[in-house]
Amino acid sequence: MPLNEWIPQMLTGCELTLKLFFITIALSMPLGLCLTFLYTSKNPVISRIVGFYILIMRGTPLLLQIFFVYFGLPYMPLVGKYLVIKDRFNAGAIAFILNYGAYFAEIFRGGLLSVDKGQYEAAKVLGLTDMQTRTKIVLPQMFRIALPAISNEAIILIKDTALITAIGLTDLLKVTQSIVNRTTQISAFVVAAAFYLVMSYALTFVFKLIEKKFEY
Amino acid sequence: MIEVRHLKKSFGSLHVLRDIDLKVEKGDVVAILGPSGSGKSTFLRSLIDLEEADGGDIIIDGKYLCKDGKYPKNKEKKAILDKTGMVFQHFNLFPHMDIEKNLMLAPLMQKKGSRADIAALALEMLTKVGLADKLHEMPKNLSGGQKQRVAIARALMLKPDVMLFDEPTSALDPELTGEVLNVIRELSKENMTMLIVTHEIGFAREAANKILFLDGGYTAAFGSPEEVLENSGSERINAFLKKVL
Repeated sequence: MPLNEWIPQMLTGCELTLKLFFITIALSMPLGLCLTFLYTSKNPVISRIVGFYILIMRGTPLLLQIFFVYFGLPYMPLVGKYLVIKDRFNAGAIAFILNYGAYFAEIFRGGLLSVDKGQYEAAKVLGLTDMQTRTKIVLPQMFRIALPAISNEAIILIKDTALITAIGLTDLLKVTQSIVNRTTQISAFVVAAAFYLVMSYALTFVFKLIEKKFEY
Repeated sequence: MIEVRHLKKSFGSLHVLRDIDLKVEKGDVVAILGPSGSGKSTFLRSLIDLEEADGGDIIIDGKYLCKDGKYPKNKEKKAILDKTGMVFQHFNLFPHMDIEKNLMLAPLMQKKGSRADIAALALEMLTKVGLADKLHEMPKNLSGGQKQRVAIARALMLKPDVMLFDEPTSALDPELTGEVLNVIRELSKENMTMLIVTHEIGFAREAANKILFLDGGYTAAFGSPEEVLENSGSERINAFLKKVL
């Protein structure tokens, strides 16, 4: 098992994996938060639209969504010609962000529902505005309640990133596959598994720290 | 100071408040008694806009919070309720902030003074309720009685003229009710106007100068403790007192 050859190659694959992971996390969480607020808004039309969006995103395979964004969008009637995303990575990342945004929206909504009604009442009798109540009272508590679920989602994401190979990009898994094809040594998959494990473990560790920091 | 006329409120087909009248003068301590389901809490909560009445008037300091079931705009409501504070049965402290931040948040947000002044006031109010040493504790580390005293201090931070207490000792272990009632007693000595929904008849008799007895959404009696508790002549009140004493 020539590890000294494999590992550098796999590390270059990891670069794409991690890049996709961080971009997705950084953009899908704010997207999810916005979706949550729209979903829980008093306007029934907005709420329905967001509900439908979440239904589509959670109800169809991420792999299909990646194909759709990269291959399908240009064929949309009327608007298709404005929706050509040439860069494969960008197309993939957009699909990931849209998909994970929907999941995060549901996670945040769960957190929002867990904030005690009494907190809103206390804020109201203390004369806080809706905005102050949201930013100072509700969001911090919602975030803390949602943290374990966010952590779970992040760990799923680090493995889901492998789906991006479907539109011809080279991540950790793709690099490993080509090593196996070239050398016929299946053990390269075990090394790749170890890479994923290390990344997942690091995430678990980081989220434990964050949970501790926000404990109350 | 507070006047309520013919207040009505229903949740769907359930008429919680049918016809309630009340006149509170400055410095009054009004205990609100009655069987469960009589509308005590709903009534108290309607005085600070946590419940919206369907009919009747609520007048605070000469201004209509509710006129014939109609309310002014949010901003105006806020101005009318600026001098009303409230303490809840379940304290409702903000669990993610320490005690000092719990106290300072509202005055800071409302720009009631410099941060240093507000911090000094927070210490003063905590000292008043006997918890100056808990300034940097988190709420979860306090006992129920301590939490309720902090909640009172937090309400006092906005210098209210009227304080509403919704069953302030009902969630406490019996041995912890005394410390909370003592704080409320102290406030009454400072001439704070207070309305207290409570099941502590002894406390009501001794600390309140008026008692409002509600039954089935109606005012069953309103008057001095002697009038209401001893000489009302009402069977309902006597039956209730027999049960709780």
